[in-house]
Amino acid sequence: MPRPTSFGKDTGLQLRMTFTMFLLGLVYVVLIVALLGSGVNGITVALIAGGLAAFQLFGSDKLALRAMGAREVSPAEAPELHAMIDRLCVQADLPKPKVAVADTRMPNAFALGRSPKSATVCATTGIMELLSPAELEGVMAHELSHVANRDVLVMTLASFFATIAAYIVQFGFLFGGGHGDDDDNPSAMVLFLVSIGVYVLSFFLMQALSRYREFAADRGAALITGRPSALASALTRIAGGMQRIPDRDLRSTKELAAFYIFPPGAGKAIGGLFATHPPMEKRIAALGRLEQQLQGTA
Amino acid sequence: MGLFDILTGKRKMKAPAESRLFAMATAAVTLEMTLELRSAGKAAIVFQPLATADFSSIVTDMEEVLRGTGDDAGTDVERTDDSFGYRWMVLSDADFEDLVVGVNVVSQALQDGGYGERILCAVFAFRDPQNQPVYWIYNYKRGAYYPFVPAGTNQRDSERELRLKAQIGHELPVEAELERWFPLWGIPI
Repeated sequence: MPRPTSFGKDTGLQLRMTFTMFLLGLVYVVLIVALLGSGVNGITVALIAGGLAAFQLFGSDKLALRAMGAREVSPAEAPELHAMIDRLCVQADLPKPKVAVADTRMPNAFALGRSPKSATVCATTGIMELLSPAELEGVMAHELSHVANRDVLVMTLASFFATIAAYIVQFGFLFGGGHGDDDDNPSAMVLFLVSIGVYVLSFFLMQALSRYREFAADRGAALITGRPSALASALTRIAGGMQRIPDRDLRSTKELAAFYIFPPGAGKAIGGLFATHPPMEKRIAALGRLEQQLQGTA
Repeated sequence: MGLFDILTGKRKMKAPAESRLFAMATAAVTLEMTLELRSAGKAAIVFQPLATADFSSIVTDMEEVLRGTGDDAGTDVERTDDSFGYRWMVLSDADFEDLVVGVNVVSQALQDGGYGERILCAVFAFRDPQNQPVYWIYNYKRGAYYPFVPAGTNQRDSERELRLKAQIGHELPVEAELERWFPLWGIPI
């Protein structure tokens, strides 16, 4: 009995993600209109933010790796990890990314890089000790899915206008004040208010987008390895390990959090709307559904 | 992957490319005649065994088919699981063409069952005059071969591999991107 594929479609997730991006675009259009309306100041801010975004895309990998205390490892230094990633790359039809290891007991993994060719995947020594080979394979496949989905690029671009709005909110009075002799510069005031609105709205939309992309990466990992339950088991184990081990200097690396397998400092206190990652139970439930599709019992 | 797929994070496993597996059957003659590489009489196909009833039954059926043909052509089948959780179906046959046919039987059975994307690669083992192993690995997703010459633990003889690529010329579809010449350590054949 021939079957076309082992897994079903994820139309619901696709729709939610597209809708979120549509809303984000809508919010940004409002900001662009306000920027153009305010004249020179707004465009200056946009240029500065554009430069910073470009820097982030092209130059931040090394900085981020250093901030994490990670370093690239050669196949001779980490033969097992390299061999595992080699095989996953064949399965996912990806060029091989750089492989890095961070020497910390915190069990985690993340992916960096704007395109598959310039990507780096990193695992901590903690996660390599904690997980079984099959579980680690699931986690690395999740990171490779982030690479294949170009999540760094998508999220950087998606946050571009949010960043502009944030600058205007932070330095708004500076820009507005330099323009006229008095406070009643209407266009600068409007721009300031619009920016606050855009900043708040896009924040929630970005977090939602990030969560959807986590689901997509989990799904991608299941497709690559054919073992959704191994990733689910890895997630529970990491969650257990995360609570036992105190989060040392990881609060300083918030912007990296979106690309972790599991966000640092994620406690019960963080509400759903504010989280970059979906709650553990939902991710495990989604992986459970994939396993059911695979087993043909769904 | 299209732009929309990137935006929505859609992942679809790449199905195997159009099969150029049989190119090896003719290239093996050149390998033996001009490069003095003779077949080790073994080939393997490597795939991820899924823990489902459907998949297991396909694999069992396929093994029976192979053993059945083995009686006429003399193909032996052995299965081993490696430390990465991949299954190796190792075929032994003195006749090289039968090896290629056998590998094709396995990959075809998996593809017909809808599990084509689970196949990692096929490996054909050769020996040089010094009896050192030289492997040609077939990447199903890319539909291309690449040489792999291990030289000690986790070391490979890249110079030799590049020379092999040049020597075989157009007789084999060789993977153009060198960064996709993924090594396979500890090949059991």
